[in-house]
Amino acid sequence: MITLMQKFIRSIFGDFFGKRKNLRIGLYGSPNGGKTTLANKICVDWLGEEMGSVSSVAHETREIQIKEQVTIKSKGKELSFNLVDTPGIATKIDYEDFIKVGMKENEAKNRAKEATKGVIDAIKWLDDMDVVVIVLDATKDPYTQVNITIIGNLQARDIPVLLVANKIDLKKADIKMIQSAFPQYDVVGISAKYGNNIDEFYESLFKISK
Amino acid sequence: MPHQCVRCNNMYDDGSSEILNGCNCGGKLFFYVKKEALEKKQQQLKLSIEEQQQIEKDVCDIIGVDKDDLEHPVVLDLETVQIIQSGKFHIDLVKLFNKKNPLVYKLEEGKYVIDLAESFKRDNDFKKAK
Repeated sequence: MITLMQKFIRSIFGDFFGKRKNLRIGLYGSPNGGKTTLANKICVDWLGEEMGSVSSVAHETREIQIKEQVTIKSKGKELSFNLVDTPGIATKIDYEDFIKVGMKENEAKNRAKEATKGVIDAIKWLDDMDVVVIVLDATKDPYTQVNITIIGNLQARDIPVLLVANKIDLKKADIKMIQSAFPQYDVVGISAKYGNNIDEFYESLFKISK
Repeated sequence: MPHQCVRCNNMYDDGSSEILNGCNCGGKLFFYVKKEALEKKQQQLKLSIEEQQQIEKDVCDIIGVDKDDLEHPVVLDLETVQIIQSGKFHIDLVKLFNKKNPLVYKLEEGKYVIDLAESFKRDNDFKKAK
């Protein structure tokens, strides 16, 4: 209740004093959904530089990454926010999965430990978000425990959500499946890697961040 | 298939006379334990001292405290992050998302670490939200 009042007061008076804190937009989702690829796309488009490294090996992002003061423009409107890229949320992290892709045991165990810490941190940060963009891999089944738990919790916390069906450049991608899994949310199909449909994503970001 | 005495945890093979006559401790109730579950459990219990110490170190790294600063272990009947062995983690997302639950790491059967600072923070946040 207090938080809601604070948000309301801030939205009314914040602009008068020019102190309105920047909107915080968080990218959430399972590992390898393309959160960092999308973060990089946004940062390259509007800041001219990348945000973090990407990899085909899961749990590449293991720490919260923040890019401050990202300003995007669309149809004469402007939106400034702090972009928060979070580690992928998983229910099981096993170092043997990293060994299978050629990592040494110590390195793999360390990655698993850091990835676990990353999941905990990502969830801790959820309350600090004003808007959450959930990045889903459109080639995979959306009915997972991770997706359902994240979306259910965001709904309970009253945080605006935008669903992004990523990897639509791949043949196996199925946006309709995601739409039917979460019909109460807007779903934007994009390819963060190749920039397909990215303008519609920016438009949706404006709508959801009102 | 093995049976386990509810009272003293003793294991008995299928067809053992104790299952018919009662356990040596006097108990007459038994858990029916699936062989796969038992093997899995035995696998977990095979951790060496070094492996157990490594797991404790991993948890301390995750919660950001010095291992020597840890006080006596506290036992609770819930856990948020279960460590099967070093590098293998099971995360209970529902519990982790639930701010009412303290953040508990299960190191092995009966041994847990609780992130007190985070748990108090969660409790305060929860009260504020109310």
